[in-house]
Amino acid sequence: MSSVEVTQALLARIERWQPKLNAFVRLEANEALAAATEADAQLARSGPKGALHGVPLAHKDMYYFAGMPAGCGSKIREGWIASQTSTVIRHLEDAGAIRLGALHMVEFAMGPTGHNPYLGPARNPWDTARITGGSSSGPAAAVAARLIYAALGSDTGGSIRTPANFCGVTGLKASYGRVSRANVLPLSFTLDTVGPLCRSAEDCALIAELIYGEDPLDPVTAGASPWNKAATQRPANSLKIGVPKRFYVDDLQADVAAALDGTIALLRKLGAKIVSLDLPDPKPIDAAAYVVLSVEATSFHAPWLRTRAQDYTAPVRARLQSGLAYSAVEYLEALRWRGPALAAHLEAIGDVDIVVTPAARTVAPKIADTDPSGANADAIKEMSAFLRPMNYLGLPALVVPVAHSAEGLPIGLQFIGRPLGDETLIALGCALQKVSDEHLRVPRQE
Amino acid sequence: MGERVTAERVKAFAAAARVPIDDDAAARAVKAVEPTVRRMAELDLQLPLEIEPASFVTIARNGAKR
Repeated sequence: MSSVEVTQALLARIERWQPKLNAFVRLEANEALAAATEADAQLARSGPKGALHGVPLAHKDMYYFAGMPAGCGSKIREGWIASQTSTVIRHLEDAGAIRLGALHMVEFAMGPTGHNPYLGPARNPWDTARITGGSSSGPAAAVAARLIYAALGSDTGGSIRTPANFCGVTGLKASYGRVSRANVLPLSFTLDTVGPLCRSAEDCALIAELIYGEDPLDPVTAGASPWNKAATQRPANSLKIGVPKRFYVDDLQADVAAALDGTIALLRKLGAKIVSLDLPDPKPIDAAAYVVLSVEATSFHAPWLRTRAQDYTAPVRARLQSGLAYSAVEYLEALRWRGPALAAHLEAIGDVDIVVTPAARTVAPKIADTDPSGANADAIKEMSAFLRPMNYLGLPALVVPVAHSAEGLPIGLQFIGRPLGDETLIALGCALQKVSDEHLRVPRQE
Repeated sequence: MGERVTAERVKAFAAAARVPIDDDAAARAVKAVEPTVRRMAELDLQLPLEIEPASFVTIARNGAKR
């Protein structure tokens, strides 16, 4: 198929789904068709530009494209035009990707549900009364409904993994420091990571190969190794997989517990060695992550809190104001504990390659039951309980769809790697998706 | 950690950060952060004096090996 044919097919699908999902915040149909036409001509003229030649993509509306708006899900950034392009976007463009538009997100990436009072909520393609999860709400909904092939999201406390889980797509949270965040809206300098949401682990690897590695514009990537394709070929029977004994397996919805058990049985069949693990209590890790995230987000937003506080929605303004409540010593203790907390985790896992956990205790809840402006704070915070600790520990994690609930909603599991072990996660994800077709299931339009 | 979070403290920190905050917002902030501060206080971190935030990078790189 030509790039124009693919783009036209996706645009037709977007036209049908967008009114139901609210996945896109901007659609650039004419520009995309022009780029696709040029891609087809270039292909005929001189061959492919790269691995993504003529492939239409769209990303969370916090990736900057020079000369284009990036609203970041907010009123404050409405109409703001970026002067630089994100490093990771440049890598995708260099490989030939074309831009279809920009995708929905939670206001300034602050929230795990997909609600956005300013834009309206994104809706889950499997049941439009349910949340997509956030904050990469549009990417997950758009990939799940097959409106695009892949999207970049961001993950500071589960913002790729929660929506990947609730929408039934594969999402990769990179190790801290392996992918550049330059010219992507920050939330927390210590915890922010960017990564792809895709239809499969194999697609995640294709994107990862293009975006991983050192970038002088993002100092935390200094010395970062590029993507190691060979390491993604590691066979499942060479892997030692740990399953936590507590917390991550407590109080699971029956369907989620069954999906975990079923997948562990499948991994055992694939030859992986399964062991039980006593992980350190994740609650203090979660608390430390919360301190770091809150203070750093408030620091970034302080100029707007001083001058445009009324332009935030109430829940986001309240979260930013709560970041003012921590002392400098509390913040620095939470930062200094990061290394010792990781050391304790590594001690607990020993020579385990990957830890497997559910991505959440339940399937996607209803939009009406999780409104951040209501009295749902504890339930909302709980949504990322299995995910946020990995941001604090800087670990890579992959969410893969493994089952559907009795009511037809996707259930995902989280694979947590060793530090910098992103490729091993892809190896296991690909092995699993060779023997499971859960990632191939597509939501039907109501 | 361990110092009790109060609205006065939030307002003092907000003033130092030059961010305006009213009484209701300060009270909401106290309610929001108190569980986290309490949890961290209970943890009673006994951090080695020499540990700095960047120690994390070394531990992560060493932990990548097995």
